Amino acid sequence: MEPTADLDSYRERVRSWLAKNLEPTRQPRVHRVRGELPSAEHLNRQRAIQRKLFDAGYTGITWPREYGGQGLTAEHRRIFEEEAAGYALPDFAPLQNTTYAVCAPTMLAHASHEFKIRHIPAILAGDALWAQFFSEPNAGSDLAAVRTRAVRDGDHWVLTGSKVWSSGAMLADYGMCLARTDGSLPKHQGLTWFAVPTHAPGLTIRPIRESGGGEEFCEEFFDDVIVEDIDRIGEVNAGWTVATTMLGFERSAGKTQASRVGGPPGDLPADLVELARRRGLTDDGHTRQQIVRVHVGEFIQRQLGARIVDAMATNGAAGLASYLKLAEGLFTATRARITLELAGGSAVAWRAGDSVSRAAAMTYLNARVRSIAGGTNEMQRNAIGERILGLPREPSADRGKPFDDVIGQAGLS
Amino acid sequence: MAVTADSARDQELLRSSTARFLEASCPLSEVRSLLDDRHGFRPEYFQKGAELGWLALLVPEKHGGGSVSGRPFEDLALVLHERGRMLQPGPVAISNVVACAITEYGSPEQQEAHLSALAAGRSIGTWALTDGGGDWAPRGVAATAVDGGYALTGAKDLVLDAHIADVLLVSSTMSPGDQLAQFLVPTTTPGLTIIPLETLDLTRRLARVEFSEAVVPSVARLGVDSDAVAAIERQLQVAVTLLLAETIGSMDRMFEFTVQYAKDRVAFGRPIGSFQAVKHLLADLSLLLEASKAGVSAAIGAVQDTDTGASEVISLVKAFVSDSAIELAQGCLQVHGGIGYTWEHDMHLYYRRLAGDSALFGDPAWHRERICALHRL
Repeated sequence: MEPTADLDSYRERVRSWLAKNLEPTRQPRVHRVRGELPSAEHLNRQRAIQRKLFDAGYTGITWPREYGGQGLTAEHRRIFEEEAAGYALPDFAPLQNTTYAVCAPTMLAHASHEFKIRHIPAILAGDALWAQFFSEPNAGSDLAAVRTRAVRDGDHWVLTGSKVWSSGAMLADYGMCLARTDGSLPKHQGLTWFAVPTHAPGLTIRPIRESGGGEEFCEEFFDDVIVEDIDRIGEVNAGWTVATTMLGFERSAGKTQASRVGGPPGDLPADLVELARRRGLTDDGHTRQQIVRVHVGEFIQRQLGARIVDAMATNGAAGLASYLKLAEGLFTATRARITLELAGGSAVAWRAGDSVSRAAAMTYLNARVRSIAGGTNEMQRNAIGERILGLPREPSADRGKPFDDVIGQAGLS
Repeated sequence: MAVTADSARDQELLRSSTARFLEASCPLSEVRSLLDDRHGFRPEYFQKGAELGWLALLVPEKHGGGSVSGRPFEDLALVLHERGRMLQPGPVAISNVVACAITEYGSPEQQEAHLSALAAGRSIGTWALTDGGGDWAPRGVAATAVDGGYALTGAKDLVLDAHIADVLLVSSTMSPGDQLAQFLVPTTTPGLTIIPLETLDLTRRLARVEFSEAVVPSVARLGVDSDAVAAIERQLQVAVTLLLAETIGSMDRMFEFTVQYAKDRVAFGRPIGSFQAVKHLLADLSLLLEASKAGVSAAIGAVQDTDTGASEVISLVKAFVSDSAIELAQGCLQVHGGIGYTWEHDMHLYYRRLAGDSALFGDPAWHRERICALHRL
């Protein structure tokens, strides 16, 4: 526990630095419309802000000093987050979470000292943004079934295969890639992680056009891509342990920030009130109930977030993040149904430029993103059922068998 | 809100001594044996609970009360959680609501007359609010000024434990006019009839109370004229929160034994909890339970700190937990299958309790509409 005086003077320093160096947020943060990737200019501006923060010592507040962090406590980070709430912090979406909340924390937990020296400072300085090269066309919920191969050749590895659903990979500098390094071992045991530069020869990255028209996700093709052994993350064939850590971070990514948990109820959802107003339904009992259902869901999710953050800090059980992920997956779909209902015909056809109606339609198209991406509702339910409630696992057809045999028997090789 | 190590230890002592006492003196077998009892609980049980401090936490020290941590609503919520887990009978939560109202709004004379008796469990208080029509507002009874006091006429419904209470806190309108007023009415007052109701929840007692020109002296009026609206709002917040503390305990225990059943019950050669159909249902219910606990913590904090936003917080939480309680109850019954539908299994006692709690002090739809009104929608 830090002496209070130290924390108070830290807060003072943060406050005065922020006031001198960062712009206030002009308007409350709105949900970014999916699929609209930031421009190169936008990213460069964000990198400049990140560099400013880095030079002043306000990045990686709790990360070790030897890797460019500040080595301070979670309390310091919370103070910084509180003070910075009204300022325009760097926004590398969709690479913000993948870089800072998922990939880097996973590397800190599992990568070698040399690896961290080589990569973490560049991340903190905003020079290296990371995407996840994780899912594959044949490995979604069954993530351990990845087939991208990495074959050792002296002091480097040769990767072949393909990855998919990597958010923002077109804009990233690196991908954190899971590959099979030994097919003679059971599924979970022959996996290893690598850092792959996105400009590496033999690597092709293509955007995937989504049903809503956007292009946030990408697919990658690895055609004898060379990766140095010093860019391996964690031990050879120990990749599943790393993956489990990463999945924990991914489930809680962005949901456990001080600004997104707890707090007072706030206003009724403005988009729904506006849709109801337009149709003259603000006195309609059913409409009012539906608006408040959404309001209740948003409030309760924030309270659940606070509870889970507390519990994770107390007993370190990262599995608890599945509750937040499942809550979000279920609630987003419910919210989309209610939005569509309140919008009525205006979400089906609208005049050009009517952003409220268009947003309602997009909410419907994106209703299932959060219940699929980053681990489906079903996988969260398995995790809660098995790891938290202690229910027995389903029998599995591939347990203990060499992975090469599994795909051979299934006629998939 | 951080509690000190000492407070945390004292709270844990209160919780564990309560849990041990309930286990020893009022396990579910005892709860069952009281189902047809006229009073619904044993006087010696209530007395022992009072000795453990159950009824004194919201009362000032000079009237024989005092909290263990300095955050009395948190302390009381721990007790009520344990009571809820074991479907405990008796007017603990509601008598605390009345004691709290007298503490916060009563005159020195009213505090002198009531608080030490309520804190010691020598007197039982309950609150008569609704007319039973679905609106948890002070309807149904009108008070007319008469010589030296007030005459109350009308009827209140869904009054907890009125049959055993000594004093009713009656929220009424003034006649003529529509001003609100509250009165502390002894249940022995002539003109007052208490009619026990049949209840879905067999472990709680509810009554209808009819007032036929029941006359109380002027000193029975709680607070001054301007207080009634704020006092009734505060009482609702307290009543909802204390009820929720019990509800969450019942949900917690019901889910616990259901998960155990899913591990123990074997079908098709393996525990039913290994099948995703069952596992996923339990995971969804577990999420509702965790989210409900998070909400109830927020409600307790808001009521403890008398947050300006407490009105909305308790309604948000009551709406969510009430819906979740019903879903959890039905889901747990589903996992048990036929055995859960028998009288002998404790399932139905929890199933009944959660439906009762969902309706008391406002069902989800009522609270959602209240939230709209708070936002002036």
